[in-house]
Amino acid sequence: MAKKKKTHPKAAMRAGSNGRGQRPPASPAGKATPAQRTYTILDYRLEKLSFALRQVRAGDEVRYEVTGDLSAPVPPIRESKYLSKQQYIEIYRWMLLNRKMETALENLYKQGKVVGGVYFGLGQEACSCASAYALRKEDWLGPMIRNQGSLLVRGFSARDIMMQYMAKAGSPTKGRDASSHFGDIEKRNVVAPISTLGDLIPVLAGVALGARLQGRNIAVMTYIGDGGQSTGVTYEGLNFAAVQDLGLVLFVENNLWGYSTPADMQFRVKDLAERAIAYGIPGVIVDGTDACQVYDAAYEACERARRGQGPTLIEAKMMRMKGHAIHDAAEYVPRPLFEYWKKRDCIARFENYLVNVKKWFSAEENRKLIEDVDRELEADRDFAVASPMPVPESAAGGVYCEAGCHEIKPKYGMPRARAGTAAGLKRTDAAVHLK
Amino acid sequence: MPPLTYLEAIRQGIWEEMERDPTVFCLGEDIGIYGGAFKVTDGFIDRFGPERVIDTPIAESAIVGAAFGASLTGMRPVAEFQFMDFIGCAFNQIVNMVAKAHYRWGAPAPLVIRGPSGGNVHGGPFHSQNPEMWFVHAPGLKVVCPASAYDAKGLIKAAIRDNNPVIFFEHKYLYRRIKEEVPAEDYIVPLGKARIAREGRDLSIITYAAMVHVALEAAEILAKEGIDLEIVDLRTVSPLDREAIAQTVRKTNKVILLHEDVRTGGLAGEIAAIINEEAFDDLDGPIVRITAQDSPVPFSPPQEEYFLPKVSDVVREAHKLKAY
Repeated sequence: MAKKKKTHPKAAMRAGSNGRGQRPPASPAGKATPAQRTYTILDYRLEKLSFALRQVRAGDEVRYEVTGDLSAPVPPIRESKYLSKQQYIEIYRWMLLNRKMETALENLYKQGKVVGGVYFGLGQEACSCASAYALRKEDWLGPMIRNQGSLLVRGFSARDIMMQYMAKAGSPTKGRDASSHFGDIEKRNVVAPISTLGDLIPVLAGVALGARLQGRNIAVMTYIGDGGQSTGVTYEGLNFAAVQDLGLVLFVENNLWGYSTPADMQFRVKDLAERAIAYGIPGVIVDGTDACQVYDAAYEACERARRGQGPTLIEAKMMRMKGHAIHDAAEYVPRPLFEYWKKRDCIARFENYLVNVKKWFSAEENRKLIEDVDRELEADRDFAVASPMPVPESAAGGVYCEAGCHEIKPKYGMPRARAGTAAGLKRTDAAVHLK
Repeated sequence: MPPLTYLEAIRQGIWEEMERDPTVFCLGEDIGIYGGAFKVTDGFIDRFGPERVIDTPIAESAIVGAAFGASLTGMRPVAEFQFMDFIGCAFNQIVNMVAKAHYRWGAPAPLVIRGPSGGNVHGGPFHSQNPEMWFVHAPGLKVVCPASAYDAKGLIKAAIRDNNPVIFFEHKYLYRRIKEEVPAEDYIVPLGKARIAREGRDLSIITYAAMVHVALEAAEILAKEGIDLEIVDLRTVSPLDREAIAQTVRKTNKVILLHEDVRTGGLAGEIAAIINEEAFDDLDGPIVRITAQDSPVPFSPPQEEYFLPKVSDVVREAHKLKAY
């Protein structure tokens, strides 16, 4: 077969950054033919980003350069279709707690009280908090490293997270693992993440499968980044959920950076929500700095999950406003990008929306709420700092679930087994793959 | 009841557990209407329905991940791998997600990952391996390698009832070659306990899976020469039955470690270390290893025969060790 030069213009590919240039047109003629199928991606955003990031050589160094319009006005908050006034305020409080807790962690780190690093969700608080807020008690969550806000919404306290970072005996993992690496299968329905990316996706799909076998359709939510979505297990897990119609809500947090690698070196699609088309599931784009958009998309995806209609992929666009972890000053990020996203800060804009636009909340009430969050954090920080380190011997044991350790029982009720038939198991003499 | 094959014993074991406990379900590739590449779940979908006998995409990480997720809700999934060689595709899920769950965050993972392993069926490098050691080295997992039909049934039932993740290696060479009487009533074979496959005085062979039968055949030949072998079938390779290992060494004072897996990093090295720790003073000769060579499993029958440990290897090494 002859190569179609028009559909894959190598010269154009070479022209831009990273040896790649403009995206190849969707069809040779560049427009839809009657035989061509079209797909829709729901887009809640009030602002479409119009800048590009490229790797450029400048003299003796190679760096990232941002081009495009960074002067666009800051978009307003999009009014939620579902949230009540009270719920707006609750989400605002979770976001504040999320951010202020991370500031406290940064200070604890500087005081040498944290073991290892600190991972921040700065700039992503709306995405963590408003998404988890859409879950019900019986639903499940699998957080990633930056979704500490989601853990708070799910019912863990700031002291739990602080003790994780300080490796304290009283941390949820009793010192055995760090950061957001903890869970709870009894009350809060949270799966502990592991450090490798995408592995929670099939696990959460399996949680939904287990619940369905017990007669319940629940929503299960997890996250993946623009970097993490490159992994094979991301595809395996989401495809499995799609094929089985499992109620997975996958937030793809496109925060533009996978450690130091920009999103456009991770994938070629314009929007990661386009991936949904290939799985045969709905795809949605939201502004990850707008808690209302995040909540509405999460709410609709959770409702779809509970109806047993299968998974949804939601891409949330925002920027990671710190380095990968506390050691990383993120000097590879072009400064103008920080300025652009700082103006779109999810908390400042939400606060302004509540206090000045909606006027649901007086400046005085806001001040009281902030003080209340500060007090809570101070108490949690003091408790966490004062709590003891584990004794060395507590490293032993617990590798296996021994007798009397856990009772295994179905969480949503005993599955209804199909009534028995008179015919039992018949022996098989069918041909096998290898004799 | 007429004698059961190793394959039928496993089928019965899973079937009975599914009858007994509605939280047990199966998932894997081609296990439904087709009944699995080796027919272990043949007929299961008609009895238990597609809800409990789930054909999955060809996605091993998703199979293990989904099994783990379901286990968190109190289910007892039995995940089939079409060939255990493909378990490498799900390695991260198994060793990082599943194996560490209880230690890290107190989440039990009562799931079974099972499938055919082992050579001597001319399956080539990707349908013949014995990858048990990848998992023996991962704390948090239990690893089972049955050699007999009776044990295969009792061990699969114990594995399904266990509250920990169990990797269950079925030996495909044994599937339809081994036949024995198996009791009709419910029984389990406890995990972590070895058995004496043959009592003997002169020297011990510690082995598992298909090599138990190689050892038994060698024992018949050696018996005619007046050499009396004791054969220990480990049955579970993690956790190891340290006491059974030490006991047989204390009894015969000479030991051959035999496995079908490759040599370097194979279980024989670990057992040798246990013998050093538990029964060094009881040894009257060197600890001998008989294993596959350190190479992939070759495809062509003459090459595969060269690769695998044979009865003649056991006879030869037994003669040498007896001389000490």
